Amino acid sequence: MPEMATEQRQAAVADRGAPVTAEHRLRAYVETLERRLRKRDEQRRAMLHIMGDLSEFNKRLANQRKAMLHVLADYERDRRRLARQTERLDSSRRALLHILQDSHQDKLRLEASRKAMIHIMGDLRETTAEMQRRERELRDKQEQLVQAGKLATLGELTTGVAHELNNPLNNIGLFVGNAVDLIELAVTEKGQIVRELRHAMQQVSKATEIISHLRTFGRAAPVSREPIPLRQVIERALSLMREQLRLREIEVTVDLGPEEPVILGNAIQLEQVFINLLTNARDAVAESPRKAIRIAGSARSGAVEVALADTGHGIPPGLERRIFDPFFTTKEVGKGTGLGLSITYGIIKEHGGTISVASPPGEGATFLINLPLASP
Amino acid sequence: MMTPLSVLIVDDDPALLQALPQALRLRMGGVTVETADSAAAALARIAVQDYDAIVTDIKMPGMDGLALLAEIRTRRPDTPTLIITGHGENELVVRALRGGACDFIQKPIDRGYFVAALYRAIWAHVQNRKAKDRQLALTSCAEELERIVEKLDRQPGAVPGRAGS
Repeated sequence: MPEMATEQRQAAVADRGAPVTAEHRLRAYVETLERRLRKRDEQRRAMLHIMGDLSEFNKRLANQRKAMLHVLADYERDRRRLARQTERLDSSRRALLHILQDSHQDKLRLEASRKAMIHIMGDLRETTAEMQRRERELRDKQEQLVQAGKLATLGELTTGVAHELNNPLNNIGLFVGNAVDLIELAVTEKGQIVRELRHAMQQVSKATEIISHLRTFGRAAPVSREPIPLRQVIERALSLMREQLRLREIEVTVDLGPEEPVILGNAIQLEQVFINLLTNARDAVAESPRKAIRIAGSARSGAVEVALADTGHGIPPGLERRIFDPFFTTKEVGKGTGLGLSITYGIIKEHGGTISVASPPGEGATFLINLPLASP
Repeated sequence: MMTPLSVLIVDDDPALLQALPQALRLRMGGVTVETADSAAAALARIAVQDYDAIVTDIKMPGMDGLALLAEIRTRRPDTPTLIITGHGENELVVRALRGGACDFIQKPIDRGYFVAALYRAIWAHVQNRKAKDRQLALTSCAEELERIVEKLDRQPGAVPGRAGS
């Protein structure tokens, strides 16, 4: 086109024949051309504008596409997750269905059990009444057993006590005989005779003490409770056993500490506990190279704990529980009744206490008694 | 007897150690009675003194009467030993007599019997000692005689009757 315009302009210049028209024509043509040129320029600018917008739009579109891809990926992931959840939900639903079925059956069974339970409760009431009756019977029997055990202990004690009684009786005979001799010899000094008779009196009271102690011990006294010092219980038990322990060269130590624990109980029953334990310890140490019994006690927080340990052969493992059973004995036939420890157990329990035994292999046995203290 | 008799009493009962010596003093005039409250104490006493008799209880803690008897038999074999036993302890009595006890006294002790038994034991002991002494004297006399006879045999003619025989 510009080539054309140039051509026309050249033609116009060449054509000098018609200068005015041609000029007019040319001018008009130039104007047209300029107009067109301006228009084209506008169009070009608009086009450029549009192109810029388009490019911008394109860019945005690309971005959106990218975003869309991300969204799509996310969506895919969500979809998969949802599918999995659906699957799980479905299996849960199935499981729930089973559970519901089971629960229904359970409910049926429970109902049956409840009915059975009602029957059992009825039986139980009857059984309880029967049990209570038997328990009463047992308590009566136990009381009889305690008395029998006491007499058995007494029987076992007799040999030692006879010896102990024989000594003061013998001494009385000698002292009184001496007094008679002095009188017969017409000794004028009264003091000598009185001395002999006083010695005799002392021996009489010693014998009386032994006998009265035995009488108290053997008597089926009503089981009364009174505050009683533990030391007194142990010493009275030891006084009945002393001769036997001494002749067997058994060393006895008593360590009750500085306190004087007082327990609420029956003196005779508690004494019997210690006589039984001492008798067992006496027999246990018979063959031991070192023969010793140690009684140690300590009071704390409302209770007193007494440990009676011996240096004997100990208790064979597995028998620690059985030794408290009635008629259970490891002694030879005729040597033990098997009642001592069961009675001991019963007495301690009656006093609200506990008794247990520890017998580590290779050592003697230790009986542990725990008794509540009398409230001050 | 010129020297007073001495007796040792062994028992673990202090009352008996008061009563029995007094009974002996009253019934056996001029007797010296010593006491020991255990076998060990008794052995310490007999180590320093030779008693005319020892009386021991059979049941004692520590060394009992039978063991003490055995010790006395080795340390003082001539001293007569009497054993005090409880009533009905026959087996122990037999063991004591076999072990060399010269007699036994049962509790409760009858003082008359006891004193008689003690006298008898001491008398037997004294007689025994006398017999032994005499035997010893006789033996030495016999030896002396034999020596004299030998001497005479070596000197012919010393004794007129024996010459030329």
